[in-house]
Amino acid sequence: MRGSLKTAAVALAALFVVAACGGGAGTGTPAASASAATGTAVTSTRPKLELSSYAYGIQTKGKLRVGTREDNVPFGVKNVATSKFEGFDVDIAREIAKAIFGNEPDIDKFIEYVPVVSATRIPTLNENKADFVIATFTINEDRKKQIDFSDVYFNTGQKILVKKDNTTIKDVKDLNGKRVCSAKGSTSEKNITAAAPQATLELQDTYPPCLILLQQGRVDAVSTDETILFGLVKQDPNTKIVGAYFSAEPYGIGVKQNKNNDRNGFVDLINRTLVAMIQDGRWAKSYKQWITPVSGDEKKTPDQR
Amino acid sequence: MPIIGEFSELYLFPNGLFITIQLAVVSLLGSLVLGTVIALFRISPLVPLRWLGGGYVEFFRNTPLLVQLFFLYFATPYIGIYLGEPDTFGFRAAALGLTLYHAAYVAEIVRGGLLAVDKGQIEAARSLGLSYLGMLREVQLPQTFRAVIPPLGNIAIALVKNTSLAATIGVADLLFAGDIVESRTFRAEEAYAAVAVLYLSLTIPLGLLVNYLEKRMIVAR
Repeated sequence: MRGSLKTAAVALAALFVVAACGGGAGTGTPAASASAATGTAVTSTRPKLELSSYAYGIQTKGKLRVGTREDNVPFGVKNVATSKFEGFDVDIAREIAKAIFGNEPDIDKFIEYVPVVSATRIPTLNENKADFVIATFTINEDRKKQIDFSDVYFNTGQKILVKKDNTTIKDVKDLNGKRVCSAKGSTSEKNITAAAPQATLELQDTYPPCLILLQQGRVDAVSTDETILFGLVKQDPNTKIVGAYFSAEPYGIGVKQNKNNDRNGFVDLINRTLVAMIQDGRWAKSYKQWITPVSGDEKKTPDQR
Repeated sequence: MPIIGEFSELYLFPNGLFITIQLAVVSLLGSLVLGTVIALFRISPLVPLRWLGGGYVEFFRNTPLLVQLFFLYFATPYIGIYLGEPDTFGFRAAALGLTLYHAAYVAEIVRGGLLAVDKGQIEAARSLGLSYLGMLREVQLPQTFRAVIPPLGNIAIALVKNTSLAATIGVADLLFAGDIVESRTFRAEEAYAAVAVLYLSLTIPLGLLVNYLEKRMIVAR
């Protein structure tokens, strides 16, 4: 069984290489250009890892536990048709898995997805239910006290969503005296209060109810991270995003703190993977696949504005 | 700074408690009145009224309160009903939803009480020349309310707890205050323990009041 799997893997790998050579740059299938972009020959041999590192333990066990969201378009989504996870966050998780297990053709066999929601992200790490959490996780000082973060892999900020025919709200200052919907207890809510103290807040549990209130004219605007607003505009094309960023939301990958030397070198391995992904274009390719359809722009690095 | 930051959230609890009390009082009075009317419909000699009362009870008792609240809050504008201005909409939707839902339970309890009144008394009242409504007012309803105070007390307590569902439609009640304190301080255990204690501070005195009324009514009988 094991032998036949290996044969299949090698056969698949050979196919990829042939496709990559035959297709030429930019015209190959997505799978082919992915393996071409990594620049390494596909083999089933494992990367050499430090014996004392946390990643070595994962390699030995053969499973990487990834905490991500199931309903967060376009970052972490469980596809109902295929029951596979997909999205920008999931792409990055798979690349980290490849840094541990090698360039496996079906890397999902080595990943156990642990579904998280906003409130369970930190407990999932601290109760050791996942090796890392990648779930549009904003890096901030309060959270840094409880967990470690990787380098920034995605930058966004807070913006404003209004109806398409609205001409009075152009910037965050215009929210003063207006009714604004946001999620209860979110950083978005606090940012609005700080930037427009005279705004009246309407607080809901999630953002789809905010969109309903906007459509019915019961609030004048919805405000949160631009990436979430992209999703709302996609749902209702009669809305538009206005203004400049009035907060910075840098996303990082969360890891349990290495207090008992039980996460040795893990954040480093993740950071090295992120740097490699940005340098060799894998990051830009995932951005183009998942973010460009909703944002309309293309980026080569997370820092690009 | 963290200490001050945490204490600065505490004003949310009295504000939330006040909203919860307002919501409970309005909905309780509303459901007692509406529930009694529905109960009278259900025992009415007129068949269409009985159907109306029965349909009401079955509909509101057999659909989840949360669904009713979501309908009132999100869906009513689509059918041209505006329960209030944007700033009063949430409270009114919650008060209306709680009233309609608990009126169904009140109606069943009151109906049971009305039917428990001895037939002989009703016949005696009518033969003394009292009209149907006069008989209800003078004979049947007073005895009913005495009998149904304990089960109505249960409904009142359930109603106070059910007001917490209003937090899901953006009403800044006690649970809503707890949600915000929790998300700002990351201290779920303290935030929700405080919320639970504050709900107890409403429901336990309410239970004692019901016990007191029950005893008084037995003496009067």
